[in-house]
Amino acid sequence: MASLLFGLALAAPHAQTPLAGSEVLLPAYAAALVVIELVTGALLLALFSVHRILAVMLLAAAYLFSGLMAVPWALTFPGVFDAMGLPPAGPQTTASIAAVRRLGFALLLLTYAVLACRQTRRAAPRYSGMVIAACILAVFAAAAGLAVLIIRNDALLPRFMMDAATITVNWTYFAVLVAAVYAATLAILLLRGWSVLDLWLTVVTFSLLIDILMLSFISEGLRLSLGWWAGRLYGLVAAMVVLLVLLAQTTALSAQLTRAVAAERRAREARLLSMQALSASIAHEVNQPLASMVTNADAGLRWLARNPPDLAETRAALERIGREGLRAGRIIDGIRAIFRKGGQERAALDLNRLLQAVLTRCEAEARPHGVTLELRLGERLPPVSGSAAQLEQVVSNLATNAFEAMSGIKGRPLVLRITSHAAPEGEVQVSFADTGHGVAEEQRRHIFEPFFTTKPEGTGMGLMYCQSILEAHGGRLWVEDNVPHGAIFHFALPAAPGAAAPRDIAA
Amino acid sequence: MTPVVFIIDDDQAIRESLQSLLRSVGHEVQAHASTRDFLAAPRRDAPGCLVLDVRLPGQSGLEFQRALAQLGLPLPIIFITGHGDVPMSVAAMKAGAIEFLTKPFRDQDLLDAVHRGIALSEARRDDAAALAVLQARYATLTQREREIMTMVAAGQLNKQVAAQLNLSEITVKVHRAQAMAKMQARSLPDLVRMVDRLSLR
Repeated sequence: MASLLFGLALAAPHAQTPLAGSEVLLPAYAAALVVIELVTGALLLALFSVHRILAVMLLAAAYLFSGLMAVPWALTFPGVFDAMGLPPAGPQTTASIAAVRRLGFALLLLTYAVLACRQTRRAAPRYSGMVIAACILAVFAAAAGLAVLIIRNDALLPRFMMDAATITVNWTYFAVLVAAVYAATLAILLLRGWSVLDLWLTVVTFSLLIDILMLSFISEGLRLSLGWWAGRLYGLVAAMVVLLVLLAQTTALSAQLTRAVAAERRAREARLLSMQALSASIAHEVNQPLASMVTNADAGLRWLARNPPDLAETRAALERIGREGLRAGRIIDGIRAIFRKGGQERAALDLNRLLQAVLTRCEAEARPHGVTLELRLGERLPPVSGSAAQLEQVVSNLATNAFEAMSGIKGRPLVLRITSHAAPEGEVQVSFADTGHGVAEEQRRHIFEPFFTTKPEGTGMGLMYCQSILEAHGGRLWVEDNVPHGAIFHFALPAAPGAAAPRDIAA
Repeated sequence: MTPVVFIIDDDQAIRESLQSLLRSVGHEVQAHASTRDFLAAPRRDAPGCLVLDVRLPGQSGLEFQRALAQLGLPLPIIFITGHGDVPMSVAAMKAGAIEFLTKPFRDQDLLDAVHRGIALSEARRDDAAALAVLQARYATLTQREREIMTMVAAGQLNKQVAAQLNLSEITVKVHRAQAMAKMQARSLPDLVRMVDRLSLR
């Protein structure tokens, strides 16, 4: 901002020096302005489609509007496009378009500042595409309508210009109004701005304030003077700053997203592999004593069937059967202990925060399935006590199951709605409601059994794993039908002992 | 000679149960925890077969099967496995295993396989013994008798043999009679079979 003020001080003494013939630069300037502002608007809309903050959409509308209005402004500028044979516009047309453009931008920016600082208002995800389309249409219609209206009715416009170069007092009033709006925006942003975008918008607003001051007062409104051009330059720099910030943010975001998706995929493959290895080794471990028991029983029968029966050998065989049964039991205990092991590192967890963390990662996974994630987190959840890593795994497994249950379904909205609430008896309940194929009656009986799967590449371990983790945490997992389509998986975990209901226990 | 059934499995409980089952039907059994133990242990020269776990520590059962073939131990192999997949069983059978059983298996299946294995082992031993006798007899033949025996077995007449070796027909006849006597061949076709068996052609 200091450099902006320095520039202002440098330009001020020569502000009124006219730069004769500099009209030729105007189309280049206008083209740059239009492109920069439209691209900025598009990027802001992209940002809106991700974050769905309505304020961002208003900011996008501001840039789109300003960019579109710059087109008629340049086309009606006296003495620039005459050579192309455009009909000469009325004396007030260009200034009026400029006035509408500046005022519109300033007001939308102010609205953004007011809304953004409240940090609320998210559009429903399902409608974000429609909202964006509506916004673009409205801005186009407004810009086109206003431009046509102004060009057609030059005689009715307020007098901003004395001649092609000098302004009237009307423009001074107008400039004061716009400057006031910028000043208000600046004040709000400085006092309450939060994001990186807000920070840069503060700089932008400041430079736009200098722009309007240069343009209207320091150059005394003399068109094509040094001060006038300096103001323009400030406006252009301001527009470029937001564009660059957005580009940098978008690039960083997409890189981050790519990395996150890759990391999630690797993690899932690793999990799947370890699941497969685990199930193979469980199968082998349990199979050994089973095989030995069967063979011992067969041997015992054959010793008995001898004439005379060999009772000592039979007894030995029976004893081995007993031993092997105990061994199988120990193996199964060991498997249970594997699941319990991680669960011993217990900490107080905020389930809402855990859900948000996991589901932010899942959002990238939901998109290719065409699934919309809806998170409805209950307020004042008591913390639960458990292993964050294991419970994250449970949440991630249940979400992945839901996505896969909805893949390939057409003709109805695919929604995974995840809700959390504090249930009576000191429990926290989380539900995953999908609109997928649902769970058939005969599947329901086996769905938590190991190796039961309905997926071609499933291990049949996922839900069993979820259930054992939740049970190790003293919780439950169950399923019911969603209406009209899909299934709801619920889990409940007991609240951490002695916890009231603080919401900000660290996860 | 009593046949011996060898068991190689790293799981002691499995070894004991198999041993008990095989003994209950009268087999003599030797059980080992690893292929190395098996190779190190003294083996009685008797017909027998090998019950082998596919998944062994160190050398896998399938590798050991190949190693045995190279060692010239002609023991038929019955594989047992906790997780038999199709490619593995196909590989085992191709390499000469006589059975591939998935644990837990029916006792009769194993006993049948062992029975077949022993029968095969005995047949192989008889075969080998017969060949050894023939080789011993062949060793007593002179160079000239061997030459003439091979040519006669190839279908040449005494006259042709005589012409080729620059001998009189009488001499050829004498050598030939001598060779047949030493080989204890009762007829010409008998002699031809012996030459085949000794792979002299």
